[in-house]
Amino acid sequence: MTDTLLLDVRALDGGYEPLQIFRKIDLSLAQGASVGLFGPNGHGKTTFLRTLSGIIDPWDGDIFFDGVQLNRPGARGSRRWRNFNYDAITRRRMDPKAVARAGLIHVPQGNLLFPDMTVAETLSIAPYASRGRANAAETLDKVFRLFPRVHERLGHKIRFLSGGERQMVAIGVGLMAAPKLLILDEPTLGLSPKLRGELASAIQTIRGSGVPLIVVDQDIAFLEELIDTLYLFDHGRISRRIEKADMPTHEEIMKLMFGEDHH
Amino acid sequence: MTLETLNLILLGGIVLGALYALMATGLALVWTTLGIFNFAHGTFIALGAYIAWQIASTEASGAGLLAGAAVSIIGMFVIGMLVYYLLIKPFERSPDIVVKSVITTLAGATILENVINLVWGPRNKQLSPLLGGDMSILGITISRNEMAVVALAIVILAALGVFLQRAPLGRAMRAVAQNREAAQLMGIDVERLYAIAFGLSAALAALAGILIGSIRFMNPSMGSDPLMKALIVVIFGGIARFTGPIYAAFIVGLLEAVMTYLVGLYWSPTVLFAIMIVVLVAKPEGLFGRYRKSV
Repeated sequence: MTDTLLLDVRALDGGYEPLQIFRKIDLSLAQGASVGLFGPNGHGKTTFLRTLSGIIDPWDGDIFFDGVQLNRPGARGSRRWRNFNYDAITRRRMDPKAVARAGLIHVPQGNLLFPDMTVAETLSIAPYASRGRANAAETLDKVFRLFPRVHERLGHKIRFLSGGERQMVAIGVGLMAAPKLLILDEPTLGLSPKLRGELASAIQTIRGSGVPLIVVDQDIAFLEELIDTLYLFDHGRISRRIEKADMPTHEEIMKLMFGEDHH
Repeated sequence: MTLETLNLILLGGIVLGALYALMATGLALVWTTLGIFNFAHGTFIALGAYIAWQIASTEASGAGLLAGAAVSIIGMFVIGMLVYYLLIKPFERSPDIVVKSVITTLAGATILENVINLVWGPRNKQLSPLLGGDMSILGITISRNEMAVVALAIVILAALGVFLQRAPLGRAMRAVAQNREAAQLMGIDVERLYAIAFGLSAALAALAGILIGSIRFMNPSMGSDPLMKALIVVIFGGIARFTGPIYAAFIVGLLEAVMTYLVGLYWSPTVLFAIMIVVLVAKPEGLFGRYRKSV
C-alpha cells in the first residue's frame, strides 16, 4: 500500500506541549496527486503541517513519505513531570533536515525568510543545504519564468520586498529544493486580489509541471482547480475527505463546517 | 602632547582595537547565530593561549609558535563544539534559553578557568613574539610584533567576512541566524551549524589569546578583562552587520588608549562606560546598528 502512495499519514497526534492540537489525522496522497486542506483558522492545520515537516515532534502515529518512515515509530513516552526537561533525555522523534532532504518541502505561512540576505543569496541556499544541486541553474530559470518579479529583485534584500514578492521568493525557494511534494500553507494570505490571481496562476503552473502539492487556503474555488482530494479540518480532526468529483460549493462547505446557513 | 606621544597613543589604540575586533567578532558570531551570549568566551581566550604555550614554549614541548598556534586553534574549535553540546544544546528548545545560557556559560567559564589553574598553575607565562625587533614608520619606532598582530587580525577578519558572504556554509550560517525555522525547512542542519559557529568563535578566541600572550603576560584569568571590553564593543557597535563590532572595536581601542593617557588607567573604563551609555541612549541598536535581532 505504501508503495503506491507518495505520502501516507496514519493516526497522527501532535501539538505544543502540553496542549494537544490535532488528533488521529489520517491523510494520504497517491503518486502524482494533490490535496487541499480547508478549515477555519486556529483548528490546527498549520500545526499539523509543522509536524509533517518535523519542526515539532509528533506525539504518536506514522508518517510515510516515498516509501520511507520519516518519524520514529511508536508513541512517545509519557511526560508526567511537567517541570522536567524531557528534551535533555529523549531523542527527537523527527528530523526536519531529513524531511527536507527526502523531498518534502514546506513553504510556511507568512514566510519571513532571511530579512538581511538578498534574493539571489536566499535562492542559492537550498540547493547547497539539501537538494536540487544538480539542476540548480535550470530550476532558477524556471523560477524566473514563473515569477519575473523575482528576477527583477535579485539584488535586493528580503526585508525591502513587498508581501507578494516575498511570497514569490518563498515559493521559489521551495522549488529550488527540487520538491517531490510541495506544501504551501496559505500562499495567498493577505495579498491584494490582483497579486492573488498572479500567484494562483503561478501555482497552477507549478502543479501543471508535475509537482504534487498540499495546499491550505480559504478559497475553495482556488483549491478546486488544483487538487484531487479535499480534507476538511475541524477542531484538530479531519472531519471529511471529499474527492474532486463530489466537490461541494462554498455554501455547502460552510454548512458542513458550521452546520448552518451563513447567508 | 608631542606628536610622538600622539602617534604612540594611536598605535596602542590600533593594537588594542585589532585584539578587541577579533574577540568581539567571535562573540558576535555566537550571539547572532544562536541568540545567546557566551560568558565563557574570555576563558576560551585564556585556554587558547595556554594550549599554544604548552606546545610552543621551550619550557614545555618547544615545538615552536606556529605549531602551538595551529594546535591551539584547532583544539579550541573542538572544545568550543563540545561546550555547545554540553552547555547550550540541552536548553535549545527552552523558551528562556537566553537566561539559562548566562548561567551555564558562566559555570563553564569558572570550571575551565579552574582547569587552567590546576594544569598550568597561577604563575604568569609568556609566549614568544610572532616577529622580533622593531621597525620604524613615519619616524616612530614600533615593535614588529604589534604590527604583525594588527595585520593578522585584519586578514583573519576579512577572511571570515568573505566566508560568511560567499561560502555556502557561511550563507547557511547567516540564514540560520536570521530565521531558524525557515532555514530548517530548507534542510539546513541547524544543530551542526550551531556547533560550527560555536567552534569558530572559540577558534577566534584562541587566536586572540595567542596574540595577547605574545604581547602581555598570560594568567588563568587573562580573558575576563578582554571579555568585558568585547561585550562593550559588541553592544556599542551593534550586531546588525558583521562589520559593526569591528569598527566599534577600533573606536573603543583608540578611546581606551586616549583615555588611559588623559585620565589614567583606573578612570578609563568609567569614561568608556559613560560614553557607551550615551551612545546607547541615542542609538539603542548600537552605533552601526539598524534593527535589533530578537532573541
